[in-house]
Amino acid sequence: MNCRGIICLLASTLLCTACKLPGGVTDRPPQTAEPEPPLLGTRGAEQTGAGQNENSDLANIPSSDQQASASKSKMPEGANQRIYIAEAIVISPQRDGQIVPSSTQVQSTASWQNLLFMDIRKQWKIHDRLTFAFSDRFNLRSEADLPVFNHEDVINNFREGFLSWEPLDRTYFDLGRINVKSGAALGFNPTDFFKTRAVQDPLTADPSALREDRFGALMLEMQYIGEGRALTVALAPALLRPGPIYTDTSLPSFNPSINCTNANDRLLIKGSMNLGPDFSPELLFYREGSESKIGANLTRGLGQRVVAYAEWAGGERSSLIDEALRFGRQTGTLPLTAPSVIPDDPSVRFQNDVAIGASLTASTKMTFNLEYHFHQAGFSGQDWSNWFNAGRGQTGSSPIAQELWYIREYAQDQQEPLAMHSTFLRADWPHAFVRNLELTGFINTDLHDGSSLLQVSANYNFSNSWSASAQVGANLGSKRSDFGSLPQTSNVLFEVTRYF
Amino acid sequence: MNKTMSHLILAVLVLMFVSSSAQTAKAPGEGPTALEVLQAADRVRNPAQPFKTTLALAEYVSGKERDRTSLIVYARQDPSSLQFNNLVRYAEPRRDAGKMVLFKGVNLWFYDPASEASVRISPQQRLLGQASEGDVLAVNLSRDYAARIIGEETLQDADRENRDCWHLDMAATTPDAVYSRIEYWVERSTYRPIKGKFYSDSGRLLKIAYYHKYQQQLGSFRPMETILIDGVNDKLATIIDNSDYLFQDIPEAWFQRDYLPRLRPE
Repeated sequence: MNCRGIICLLASTLLCTACKLPGGVTDRPPQTAEPEPPLLGTRGAEQTGAGQNENSDLANIPSSDQQASASKSKMPEGANQRIYIAEAIVISPQRDGQIVPSSTQVQSTASWQNLLFMDIRKQWKIHDRLTFAFSDRFNLRSEADLPVFNHEDVINNFREGFLSWEPLDRTYFDLGRINVKSGAALGFNPTDFFKTRAVQDPLTADPSALREDRFGALMLEMQYIGEGRALTVALAPALLRPGPIYTDTSLPSFNPSINCTNANDRLLIKGSMNLGPDFSPELLFYREGSESKIGANLTRGLGQRVVAYAEWAGGERSSLIDEALRFGRQTGTLPLTAPSVIPDDPSVRFQNDVAIGASLTASTKMTFNLEYHFHQAGFSGQDWSNWFNAGRGQTGSSPIAQELWYIREYAQDQQEPLAMHSTFLRADWPHAFVRNLELTGFINTDLHDGSSLLQVSANYNFSNSWSASAQVGANLGSKRSDFGSLPQTSNVLFEVTRYF
Repeated sequence: MNKTMSHLILAVLVLMFVSSSAQTAKAPGEGPTALEVLQAADRVRNPAQPFKTTLALAEYVSGKERDRTSLIVYARQDPSSLQFNNLVRYAEPRRDAGKMVLFKGVNLWFYDPASEASVRISPQQRLLGQASEGDVLAVNLSRDYAARIIGEETLQDADRENRDCWHLDMAATTPDAVYSRIEYWVERSTYRPIKGKFYSDSGRLLKIAYYHKYQQQLGSFRPMETILIDGVNDKLATIIDNSDYLFQDIPEAWFQRDYLPRLRPE
């Protein structure tokens, strides 16, 4: 072999190497008839006809006729609004043989419910520095335990309505009914202080959905957003005496439930600051009536797939049982002189709430969130034992059963877990199996007894305007457990939505 | 001996000069480096000044449109990293109107106006369907990839016009890079990107992009349309139309979680 032959051999060997992609997949067949491109040189590149092969990709471009027949895009008017009408039916099979029979006076035991509702969220720009936001849901409903043509058939949920003024760049004053939300976790948000008493008769137990459908509080909010830092102050005055916990048969029709959101003077101060690369903690101070709490939120990315987060709040309070019974007596649901049917600890001490977790996104785009929740004021093992022992053998109409279930309704109204220790696992899979199908599921487990709330839902977008969803939930566990003692064994929901 | 020694020193000095010149200067007639080509192509795609643009993404299957998404993108170059920070607001479909995604390096936040909550997401959680954030965001490829010129080729652009191009082979140098490897064709006379091929970590061809319909926008000729062809199923294509380019005062303070609910209505 002469010198020219050796050079050609070396060049062709190197050329084959260059045609391989990192994973060893051949990009395209070697082009024997065309000049060889230089391999490593960044200069003096030679003119080649390699583009001939590249031009074959052009055949896959939609033709101009096809593009012309498609609707030409224009910025839709609805960029600042979301309006939809939905029809939903929920079926909830009831459990037989509960250890503590359900009390219809304080909780929902309807076996089915039908809702037709219109939901609107819209923002108007009144002036360069003045906007108005509005959020409302108007419901027509019927359910198993409601008489036909009752005022309970029409329920309006006025969630938000506030003016926002920006007198200086990124300095805001908001006035009106406002939803202030905080927290990094998904299943339980200890620092979301304004969540209490803000959700009525929810369609689902999914914490993410509960955040969407809650009332704001009447308040003045001030916020400054600087470079890498933000400070928010929210003041919500007490305007009415606290109202009772509403059940599904006593919901106000058009009353905006100010007695739920503005029953105590409330102050929230929260601030965040960039203290380093990917280190921007948020600190919170909250005062309601005479009780104060402090809290913190922190998130951190761990590579391309994982986000870790932690949320903590702490403050002086009594136990959940004591708070619930005092509130029941104060609002008249429980007799003022009713004794505590289970031992409750009235002592006030510093108690912690923690949610710590991480999200992981798989290559299939499925995202998992796993969280541990600690709620120090929640039920201990002894509390559970007392709760079941006190209620055994009672009837649903007995004052003892009413008081026992009231404690649990209070926890739900406050949106705080009943369990002291629990885990939360959520999975979300957009475009699962087929395009536009999203599967979501979560399981919330009480670590004391292993009982769980399981919910799986599927949502399919037929078009940009229509979607349908189905949801199945189950309260799993023995009859002497947190979720296994609930009146509903399961629930099934079907919903069709039309967006405008 | 002295003469020999002085010749030797002179020869060493000449060699040193020649070798250092070879490293730092271009010989007459040599073209730009791969990095210079890529930086110039980046400047063609995105201005250095903060700007806003509207994107309409239309997805096609076998030439028939099946889906449409509209986004408003606010972009600003980070002065320290020279990479772009992006704030993306969904305008269409209606069910997603008002949702926002903040991209600031590895800090990604998703804001849903329905829950009024901002959730931190991982870079792996892409929310734009067929197109990924790398296709719709302002990105300086020269910050995330090491490029080399592997040839000069004549290929047809999306309008079937012949273009004399540099063929660049680019390998990701940061974990923030959306693709592991990119092949990129940049027109020699204008530095306009004409075509790109994007590969996964395993070397699989993910998508092919064509940049065309260049128009004078924000002080330079910029591609007003990008055509993406799926690398696995060539019946799938996405066409991204740019419109309403506008220089806008976009402060750095916009690129944080707390600002997301504050982005004013258009």
